[in-house]
Amino acid sequence: MRAFDYVRATDTREAVRLLADDPEASCLAGGTTQLDLMKDGVLQPPRLIDITRLPLHGIERRDESLHVGALVTMEELAADTTVAERLPMVRESLLLGASVQLRNMATIGGNLLQRTRCRYFRDPTVPECNKRAPGSGCAAVQGAARMHAVLGASERCIALHASDLAVALVALDALVHIQGPTGSRTVPLTEFYLTADVSPERETVLEHAELITGVEIPLPPPAARSGYLKVRDRTSYEFALASAAVQLVLDDGTILEARVALGGVGTKPWRAHAAEHLLTGAPATTATFTEAAEATMQDAWTVPGTAFKVPLARRTLVRELQTVSGVTA
Amino acid sequence: MSTVESRTRIGAGVNRVDGPRKVTGTAPYPMDFSVPGQAYGALVQSTVAAGRIVRMHTEAAEAAPGVITVLTHENAPKVGTGPTTVLGAAPPPPLRNDRILHHGQHIAFVVADTPEQATAAARLVRADYEATEPLLDLQDPRAEQLVDPWGMDTSRGDAAAALKSAEVTLQATYTTADNTNNPLGLFATLAAWEGDALTVHDTSQWPSMVRTTLAMVFGIPESSVRVLVPYVGGGFGAGLRVWPHVILTAMAARMIKRPVKLVLTRPQMFTSIGHRPSGVQWLGVGATRDGELVALDHRSLSSLSMEDNDYEPFTWASSFAYRCPDVITQDRQARLNIAVPTSMRAPAEAQGNFALESALDELAHQLRIDPVELRLRNHADVDPRNGLPWSGKALRECYEVGAQRFGWSDRNPEPRSMRDGNWLVGYGMASALFPYFAQPCAAQATVRRDGSALVRSAAADIGTGTYTVMAQLAAEELGLPLDQVRFDLGDSDMPHSMMAGGSGLTGALGNAVHDACRRLLRQFAELAHDDADSPLRGFPPDDMECTDGRIHPTGRPDLGEPYADILARHGLTELTANGNSTPPVPTELGMSLSGAYGAKFVEVRVDADLGLIRVARVVSAIDGGRILNEKTARSQIIGGTVGGIGMTLLEDTATDPRTGRIANGTFADYLVAVNSDIPDLDVVFVGEPDRGTATGTKGVGEVGLVGIAAAIANAVHHATGKRIRDLPITLDALL
Repeated sequence: MRAFDYVRATDTREAVRLLADDPEASCLAGGTTQLDLMKDGVLQPPRLIDITRLPLHGIERRDESLHVGALVTMEELAADTTVAERLPMVRESLLLGASVQLRNMATIGGNLLQRTRCRYFRDPTVPECNKRAPGSGCAAVQGAARMHAVLGASERCIALHASDLAVALVALDALVHIQGPTGSRTVPLTEFYLTADVSPERETVLEHAELITGVEIPLPPPAARSGYLKVRDRTSYEFALASAAVQLVLDDGTILEARVALGGVGTKPWRAHAAEHLLTGAPATTATFTEAAEATMQDAWTVPGTAFKVPLARRTLVRELQTVSGVTA
Repeated sequence: MSTVESRTRIGAGVNRVDGPRKVTGTAPYPMDFSVPGQAYGALVQSTVAAGRIVRMHTEAAEAAPGVITVLTHENAPKVGTGPTTVLGAAPPPPLRNDRILHHGQHIAFVVADTPEQATAAARLVRADYEATEPLLDLQDPRAEQLVDPWGMDTSRGDAAAALKSAEVTLQATYTTADNTNNPLGLFATLAAWEGDALTVHDTSQWPSMVRTTLAMVFGIPESSVRVLVPYVGGGFGAGLRVWPHVILTAMAARMIKRPVKLVLTRPQMFTSIGHRPSGVQWLGVGATRDGELVALDHRSLSSLSMEDNDYEPFTWASSFAYRCPDVITQDRQARLNIAVPTSMRAPAEAQGNFALESALDELAHQLRIDPVELRLRNHADVDPRNGLPWSGKALRECYEVGAQRFGWSDRNPEPRSMRDGNWLVGYGMASALFPYFAQPCAAQATVRRDGSALVRSAAADIGTGTYTVMAQLAAEELGLPLDQVRFDLGDSDMPHSMMAGGSGLTGALGNAVHDACRRLLRQFAELAHDDADSPLRGFPPDDMECTDGRIHPTGRPDLGEPYADILARHGLTELTANGNSTPPVPTELGMSLSGAYGAKFVEVRVDADLGLIRVARVVSAIDGGRILNEKTARSQIIGGTVGGIGMTLLEDTATDPRTGRIANGTFADYLVAVNSDIPDLDVVFVGEPDRGTATGTKGVGEVGLVGIAAAIANAVHHATGKRIRDLPITLDALL
């Protein structure tokens, strides 16, 4: 049997130290990704550091931002009153993800660090996977690809980042608080992820012994309207084929501020800066929305199985811009 | 053979007798059984799809903690092959040689003291392969094609000439995807030998056949094999064969002289126990301008593995579904380097009906005839193959009642004519049939000294309600309350039963139970006939019936007496009778056996921009003959409809086009319908008890699925104007 050590850390410093001591150790929080991957033989950490007892469970509002402990569960965050009142897009993205059983286990920190669902990555009998074995190639590119990425993708890797929550959070410019061996740092979520066309084997800027301690979500201005649209084949318990997180501030038919991110299409949660640029200051019309959507998908890299995602993502974004703005003309 | 006119047409919706055991978790499924001292098996599967094994590396696994043995083709004993059944030759036994025929083929079997040790050690087994290019594409010209593999191709008249001269013609090609049965219960086998006697707990829909197979494979008498299957966590056809893993488990148990247990993993369920094969169908339809069919040319090609058989005559039912003078139907199978296909709920019919009923919708649209009207104009009042009357066919009533409940007359025939916000609304319909099927069955009925009854047969209840409906039937025949009757099954030592498959078990076993109960009744009547103390004395034993636990001359309940009194007077503790049924023969009956019919009406909503497809409602009007239990029968139709929705919109076993590996072999990646995909499903039963069999049932296990795909596809066309001829229909086809 493949044995591994199990250690339970009681405070954050200890957890970081335990991680620093063992370059191959992994953290265990909700376990909804980690344990799956261990059972499938994709990850074989010699040591699991249980961080579930760390004091990172709280949700706290400080002025106009919400501080969410890394160990808050998806279901807890969705039920938070500030989230319900001020962050409907976050709530929707949470409740459209996974299943209630998984949401009761999965943590916010773990959600941001979830691994791709690519079945070529998740089956260690497949030899070609640049994520698992750098330099070995990508079997998905020539394979049965559908649930794969078209943005930040290349022949090196088309693994999708499947989080819904992270899409809403990149749109909101959430900050990730990180504790490392030499201190703490804060990284904007938009700069937290790396794309697979650059580094399939490395998905975030997080260093080995660093731990996400929490996420800080700036609350939108009261005038903002937002929403999250998730498009998928079945109506529940499936990852997005395309999704859009949209937040708009409108004034008399003009878009004063736009925040846009896409899911289901990127090797990372995809903030659509080009779309925001086109939308900001423009009249809220379907023509504007369409132009923004086209700009977003301009750099898509597709394989035959994923080509449909380009028009689908465009239409998904247009639809959500229409829904949030109330403008369908 | 007499019909049971006096009985109710639709039996009471009695709760499942096994319901409390299932919901409290006390019903033992095959994986729940354990015996002292058992070891655990784990499968090692090929990671290439074609070629041969050059060398197996088992040393690391053999040295791993707890490992007892590692079986490979190099050390596995040679064994025999099981029987050919109605489904074809038995799957070839495992580990025969070094050849690799598909990705996921079992190449080694690791046995260890614990399941974790076996699983871990299985990962240590390595194989060196000499891999060759696999054949994976159904239409690859290099693939060997089996022509008319079932001898069921048909031809009447001259379809080619009739097509050529038809006023209106239509040619279309339809494709259907590989689907995986995916019962919730993981398949499990526990094999224990005592000398040369073998007891097996196995996930099976056919315990009697498992017994025969294991006896032949291991060269031991059938009477030395006992197969136990009291509960099955679903099968959908996957439990109709004895798969290689079952033989491996029994083989290992014999070698190590310890019981061995194997539970498949979910990914292994995709490669080890069959799946619905992908197919392509070519349809040519000729008609008059009034919509009368004059020619039908229906051909299919479906996928098959390299050495197995699979019963999939896609097109056969097109030879009798409608009145049409000139018809040709032909089925072909292409041998590929894929895991073995097998029956999956409504095998062949699910696929063939999709093509035929889609084509009829295309024809109706082309001719501007209402789709229901088109089908009524071509209704086969008699069997078009031989002119025989049907034993019972209420398809016209299915159309009428279904259309009325659905509100079909509100339909604007113009595509894209109905809209609700972003949703395009479409109505579609299709006919459905599932042919009659039966095999010989036997049952035994006993009445004990207290007047309670035990009835038995070696059948399997795969969740369909066999325990319940057979108890109901026996209670009715014996005139006993349901709680005085136990029906037992799932043990190959009981009287022989047919498979729980082909929608045939209820009818065939019901007839055997009927026969056993009638014979038992006659035994009681014969005892009483010469009994001075019996009120039945002198009455003809053939003319008895039972009411409220009392046997009495027909129509004279006042003259009856309880079973217990007869037994007591004669010093007997029990009386037992055996009953049998054999499939009725149409030429003797002077009737064609109809099987079940249905009409399916579906409303879909399609997002005009995003292509999302949601089924809004389904009405299924079903002619299932006599319905023994309205509740379990309705559940069968609901379950079939859910399966049909999955097949139409979601299910697609994805094979990697280079390696032949199943690329979505998990429940997260292979999509089956979830609750929120399923609207309220309306089911209505119409028709009369079938005249061809004693109990009047037709079987409703499969007709619920048939027709759903075409009805949805037709509704999608009505909603969007787009005709989708490929399953599953996903949003990318509608963007």
